Amino acid sequence: MTTHVDARSDYQYKTGTNRLGLWLFILSDAFVFGGLLVSRFYLLGRTRPDLSQLLGLIVTAILLLSSFFMNRAETAIRFGDRKGFLNGTLLTIVLGILFLIGVVGVEWQMAPFSAGENAMASIFYTMTGFHAFHVLTGVILLVIVYRKGRKGMYSAERHWAVEAAAIYWHFVDVVWVFFYPALYLMGRVAG
Amino acid sequence: MEEKTNEKKLDLFRLGVVVFVILAVLTIGEYFIGVIAVGWTWPLWGIAILKATLIVRDYMHLPRLFSQAEEDPS
Repeated sequence: MTTHVDARSDYQYKTGTNRLGLWLFILSDAFVFGGLLVSRFYLLGRTRPDLSQLLGLIVTAILLLSSFFMNRAETAIRFGDRKGFLNGTLLTIVLGILFLIGVVGVEWQMAPFSAGENAMASIFYTMTGFHAFHVLTGVILLVIVYRKGRKGMYSAERHWAVEAAAIYWHFVDVVWVFFYPALYLMGRVAG
Repeated sequence: MEEKTNEKKLDLFRLGVVVFVILAVLTIGEYFIGVIAVGWTWPLWGIAILKATLIVRDYMHLPRLFSQAEEDPS
């Protein structure tokens, strides 16, 4: 009994430390995205690229929905609901892939400029590309978590990997919360 | 005991739905501001900060970082 309690409190202590480490990483990553956001306003000022606003809204909705399902998946595993966790994670993965298709597969093809054309093109591809890379790594992380989850490696008591993947995924969503208006909505279309 | 746990789980699910609905409404709002009221930058910043705050607090569970002990769902 004592050993069980010791092991549990040891796990809780480690989770607390891991959580702090993850948040420090997220903070440092946020500075990079912040730098890109500042660059956008320095380079483009009160103008914005001529992008499909409807497509921007659709990919934003997809990412928000993925965050909702990730939250559901994490809540499910906290209470030992393995089926709910697996379903939520799988939906998040699918929505993450759809977001990537929407941005890289559709938006990049529709954009009225090529990557090296001018400052606007450069900042647009850097912002969306850097963010898409984070989405891709998030999807890979979630696939790993999903596969381990199918093998029954997570429980209500031990699921730090799920929490970490969820926090990372929501962070990617938070970044897009700022990138979406900065690229699609703020300022006048550059003529 | 199990009933209490289920109730807590449902409460958290409900909170997730409420946060999602607020985020969806704010996103639609900012879309229309961007499309109709061109040049309204500050309201868009306000909405973005509000959305980010909700996600960081309720989906990323920032308060857990400052809690002394790991939350026990049971």
